[in-house]
Amino acid sequence: MQRTARLKRKNDVDPVLVHARREAIIIAAAWLTATVYSCAYCYLLGYIRRDRPLGPDDLHPILGMPSWFFWGVIAPWGACALFTFWFAGFYMTDDDLEAADEPAAGAGDAS
Amino acid sequence: MNPPEAIHAELPTLLALAAFTLISLGLGFVANLAQRKGKFLEKYFLGNRSLGAFAVALTAAVMSGGTFVGFPSLVYSFGWVVGLWIASYMVAPLTILGVLGKRIGQLARRTGAITLPDLFRERFGSPGLGILTSVLVIFFLATNLVAQFSAGARILKPALPATWVQTFAAHPLVGLNLDAGYLLALAIFTATVVFYTSYGGFLAAIWTDVFQSLIMAVGVMILLPLALAASGGLAHATETGMKAAGDGFGFGPGAGRDFHPIGLAFSFFVMWAITGMGQPSTLVRLMAFRDARTLRFSILYLTIYNAVIYIPLIFIFIAARSILPSLPSSDDVMPHLIVKLANPYVAGLILAAPYGAVLSTVSGWLLIVSSGLVHDIYQRYLHPTARERTIVWASYGMTALVGLAVAVVAIHPPRYLQMIVVFSSTGMASSFLAPAVLGAFWRRATAAGAIASMAVGAGVTMTLYLIGRFTPETLGLANLLPPSPDIGTPGALRPYYLLGLDPCVWALLASTVAGIAVSLVTKPPDPARVRDFFGVDAAADPA
Repeated sequence: MQRTARLKRKNDVDPVLVHARREAIIIAAAWLTATVYSCAYCYLLGYIRRDRPLGPDDLHPILGMPSWFFWGVIAPWGACALFTFWFAGFYMTDDDLEAADEPAAGAGDAS
Repeated sequence: MNPPEAIHAELPTLLALAAFTLISLGLGFVANLAQRKGKFLEKYFLGNRSLGAFAVALTAAVMSGGTFVGFPSLVYSFGWVVGLWIASYMVAPLTILGVLGKRIGQLARRTGAITLPDLFRERFGSPGLGILTSVLVIFFLATNLVAQFSAGARILKPALPATWVQTFAAHPLVGLNLDAGYLLALAIFTATVVFYTSYGGFLAAIWTDVFQSLIMAVGVMILLPLALAASGGLAHATETGMKAAGDGFGFGPGAGRDFHPIGLAFSFFVMWAITGMGQPSTLVRLMAFRDARTLRFSILYLTIYNAVIYIPLIFIFIAARSILPSLPSSDDVMPHLIVKLANPYVAGLILAAPYGAVLSTVSGWLLIVSSGLVHDIYQRYLHPTARERTIVWASYGMTALVGLAVAVVAIHPPRYLQMIVVFSSTGMASSFLAPAVLGAFWRRATAAGAIASMAVGAGVTMTLYLIGRFTPETLGLANLLPPSPDIGTPGALRPYYLLGLDPCVWALLASTVAGIAVSLVTKPPDPARVRDFFGVDAAADPA
């Protein structure tokens, strides 16, 4: 809350906006990392391509799953879950989103 | 093994499912009582901005008929690569709730917005933008509702006693070419969901969502060991699947066809994690959560919930390929697997999971469509001085009318329901995501930019689906566009995959570019309006 009050005085910029923008940029980076890693790993090691035929001998099961699926989907899923716990549990700020205004003109009851 | 068409559960299955439905109806009654005091519209459509973390996480409209009917159908048909198709759910809780959550929550409070059209109209100061939003929400959500109603009927159908179906089939109104079991199930599903949603409003949808989401998790947890045991384990199931469907069942890009080439793999990381942010059902929940702490905990709960639901579903339906090797319609795999594996009472409980997913999705979406018609069009433009009693009955009536209209269209469902879900998700995200992000974070965004962004996003989506449906050759575009690559899910609703990418990528890109470009060439927004939404709120400033 102190950080929020300091930001308000310093810039007259809404601190919710500042925090939300910073958090959105970090989330975008996390999404990009997960996308690039999973797509690249699965394509390189788990896709049948013209120059790379695969068959039952190439499954190398880990806990019954094909190894490409385990390392390309399950492992990053676990890593993302850990990151999310840190991010939402400790990094995101509890900003004051203010009380609700009266419903917009035309909204609410007309009585 | 019985032929799949002949599968009917025993009576206890139906009783267990009926008990679940009655509890849902009961929650609708209690919800109606709970919201009798105070402003009707804000409570009926937004739950008085009081949603807690559990409710937001479990009702973020992530689970639907697609989750329990469409998605299993794809895993069963194409194998392990469908795990990559859904893998963006690993980051989806962060993107869907974390990127826009705080700002949409704040803007909704500052504007007093109740619906998405309200929010855009007030943020950009444009009644035209409000109307366009209403029309697009109604169109795309109603399309998706057809898939959800069909999914609900498919799940219920095997739980109906054979004698009921035979009696119903003898009725003269049931056409010769129609599936009587499906029709009866559709009628029962429609009556249930329309009744409790019309009567209970938003709180009913939320409470039943939470109850049904918990049932879903329990159902999946019960089904997982049953499926693994019956198939002889995942490794054995994979080998059996590869023998039946080809090596593509164990690898990318999928069994029998190029279901998921790398361009689509990238596209679906955009599809679920990014387009999920722009769904009206998500944005409405972001307008309704209690506070920022609630938002953080919602992200945590949704992360756990996604992992507990989606990863086991992949395992279950990989196993299903060896348990039910020759289903005529893969969209029926979930209910048939349950009826085959579980004892009748447990089958009823597990069937309640997908049934609950569909019920909860439909109830939330029905409300958004009816709120668009009643609040955004009828009350705002046709009858601004309507009395509250009139609005109450219009809301009940419109919810029921929309439900019945969708049920009529769902009498003839297309194959691969998931494609309807993908089409409508793409359409909604390409219409609403860019205006929402620009409106939340960019001072220079203008009403004209938001309208352009919305129109271009929706237009690109529909154009690419039309070209896919009729082919470039038929439309006389062969000189401009090469034939669409034969990738992705087959069926009538297959889009044109420009450069191998799903339309969601192109539509989102075009929508964003249009929003920025048109904003920059039009007159800057009123500084007072910008200050209202981007400056420090004087009322909230302790100084």
